[in-house]
Amino acid sequence: MIEILPNQEVILSLQGLSKNYGSKNVLNGIDLTVYRGQIIGYIGPNGAGKSTTIKIILGLEGDYSGKVEIFGEEVTADNYHYKRKIGYVPEIAELYDNLTAQEYLTFIGELYGMDFQAADEKAEKLMTLFGLEAVYHSRIASFSKGMRQKVLVISSLLHNPDLLFLDEPLSGLDANSVMVFKEILAILAAQGKTIFYSSHIMDVVEKISNRIILINDGKIVADGSFTELKQQNTEGTLEQIFNQLTGFNEYKTIAEEFVAIVREV
Amino acid sequence: MKDFRTLKFLDFFKVLFARLGVDYPTMRKILAVKLTMDGRRTPTIFNQQAKKKKQEENGFMKSLGMYVLMSLFLIPIVVFGKNYFFQMSIFYGIVMFLVMTSMISDFSNVLLDVRDKGILLTKPVGKKTISAAKTVHISIYLFFLTAAIAAAPLIAGTLRHGLLFLLLAIIGLILLDLFIVVLTAIIYYFILRFFDGEKLKDIINYVQIGLSISIAVGYQVLARAFNFVDMEIVFSPSWWQFLLPPIWFGAPFELVLQHHSNLYLVGFSLLALVIPIISIIIYNRMMPSFERNLQKLTNQNGESRRKERRWKNWIARVVCRSTEERVFFRFADNMMRNEREFRLKVYPALGLSLVFPFIFMLNEIQMNSYAHLVASKWYLAIYMSCLMMPSAITMLKYSGKYRGAWIYRSAPIANLAPLYSAALKVFIVNLFFPIFLILSVIFIAIFGFKIILDLFVVFVVSILFTVICSLTLNGTLPFSESFEDAQQSGGLKVILAMLLIAVFAVVHYVASLVPFGVLIYLAVMVISTILGWKQAYKTIWNF
Repeated sequence: MIEILPNQEVILSLQGLSKNYGSKNVLNGIDLTVYRGQIIGYIGPNGAGKSTTIKIILGLEGDYSGKVEIFGEEVTADNYHYKRKIGYVPEIAELYDNLTAQEYLTFIGELYGMDFQAADEKAEKLMTLFGLEAVYHSRIASFSKGMRQKVLVISSLLHNPDLLFLDEPLSGLDANSVMVFKEILAILAAQGKTIFYSSHIMDVVEKISNRIILINDGKIVADGSFTELKQQNTEGTLEQIFNQLTGFNEYKTIAEEFVAIVREV
Repeated sequence: MKDFRTLKFLDFFKVLFARLGVDYPTMRKILAVKLTMDGRRTPTIFNQQAKKKKQEENGFMKSLGMYVLMSLFLIPIVVFGKNYFFQMSIFYGIVMFLVMTSMISDFSNVLLDVRDKGILLTKPVGKKTISAAKTVHISIYLFFLTAAIAAAPLIAGTLRHGLLFLLLAIIGLILLDLFIVVLTAIIYYFILRFFDGEKLKDIINYVQIGLSISIAVGYQVLARAFNFVDMEIVFSPSWWQFLLPPIWFGAPFELVLQHHSNLYLVGFSLLALVIPIISIIIYNRMMPSFERNLQKLTNQNGESRRKERRWKNWIARVVCRSTEERVFFRFADNMMRNEREFRLKVYPALGLSLVFPFIFMLNEIQMNSYAHLVASKWYLAIYMSCLMMPSAITMLKYSGKYRGAWIYRSAPIANLAPLYSAALKVFIVNLFFPIFLILSVIFIAIFGFKIILDLFVVFVVSILFTVICSLTLNGTLPFSESFEDAQQSGGLKVILAMLLIAVFAVVHYVASLVPFGVLIYLAVMVISTILGWKQAYKTIWNF
């Protein structure tokens, strides 16, 4: 566990971040400071506002109130240079999938300011490590879900970013690839990269994060390391803490009812 | 990725873009990717390796050939006289129609691509560069499209009317293109503002269908139209013409080349110049709120309504015998109604079926008289409506979501023949029958009630023909293959179908000469259709 020390370098800070779609409040004043080298497990129920937070930080969503600072710079509509140091794996993987992996990855690399040759070589090496060297020149449209996910992961890391936003990055990956990827994250964090990890799979979040932030209804309801959360709450696993904090305790009744309907009792 | 000639040309304007605050190298990369993707059709996942070696072909560039062909029809319009105001208004009217409709079908993908936001905006690329890339991308398309449509008539026109004509025409075309882009965007803007993305996609789909029909019918009609149109029409300017944009663009020719200075003509010419410029300004203002509304394309909003359709259930009960077939009937019905790509491929063909019989009768009217037609056996022309059936039925095996077809195999069903017969029944009930009904009503209006028995015969024959056409499905399950595999050239199939239909029609004609012949023919056809259906159910649909 890495201790959170106040004198560490601030990578990201959100102050009073609120956002609403029409009359619906998605974010209700999020305050958050993230330090270098942290792996943050950003969790919450569906529709809690996780993706919206990430989209605001990346400048995909405007019209919010509050302040967002990355690397000490305030995020504004005209400022896009800070994105050079960010890597992003979106939850819904939009890719230009009628390009080949090589074309897509070099394109993304070049957008991040890399040289074509450098991006090409790096991408090919990374693809090879993931066992995808044979399909490097094939179109992404023909890839399986796991292969696409690997391409996405590579495209988010190609330019050696300092801050990573990963939204459900393991979906579709097999157990071996998951192990490789988790190890990659640990090494990256140890080298001072900051990782913002969003997922619904609690076991993974529990294992890899050194700080867990739980949001519910657009507010942060828990913030701390797993041990701290365990001390504050009576429950044992992160999953149970999650259920408790989001006020969800009827899972047994729902499950029983579900099976009853299936069996037509 | 290859280096595009278009982009090399664009390099000349590098400095200009840099002046405008655009990151030119990045914009060029984005454009290269866009053009590469435009030139590619998504490969099917199964035979990726086999296809990789094939030369890349650009569907758009190929479609330009068709526009060039159509533009030949415009040459006489431009060349035949010196009545510029009339001629050029018609010319711009046709150009505007073609560019606008094909804009909506091609430009939609560019303007409405929501992937752009997620992929490009998360990267360190300025908004200005992204929108510049978008604008240039659209301009490239517009340039090629307009050039294909207008080049031949303009060359001919210049040879006849001189260089000043060329200059005016080119300025006119540029302004017209600007106007069209903005008009399309504004239309999208209002649709998105008041409806959701699904509605917009539907509207685009119907415009595409309308375009295909009008191009196909246009071929047939334009060639004949010249016989009817009186070229000596006196076309004088009046106030209502202010409402018709093509006329604005026709006016400057009269004004400059004929030296007709008329207050109306000056007004029109001013509009042609000013409106495109004003609309660009409005467009720029609206762009941000347009982008916001664009989000609707991805967001699922609004409660979905459940439509109860009693009569469909009733039809399903009437035309399907087994429960399984009924299940598949409902499924096929939903698939065909919801799939836009299917509609795009099949509805134009159906539109043609509606028009074909009349095109043939039109010839007859021109040669003889209407009274002569009514007394004849020309009602057999209704057989022409079956011509498009083979290609429409072939489309049944394709689906945009063909990967969902695994469900047929994993479901506990003895055989898939009910799926085939249900799909064909839906085809007849939903698609063919409405067309046939409309035609029948019109035909009865023309020829009188005496042809009702004949119409029954034609309907039964068309069902038999459906069974025969199902041979083209060739052992593939309905909705189980990608549209990208579809061969557009159904030339041979259509000819075979034509011959077969001709045989049916000739037999019908002969039968109609014999007393009770039609009745006997009907009986024979009913029996062979029932037998044919049963036989097909057991053999070609069964596996």
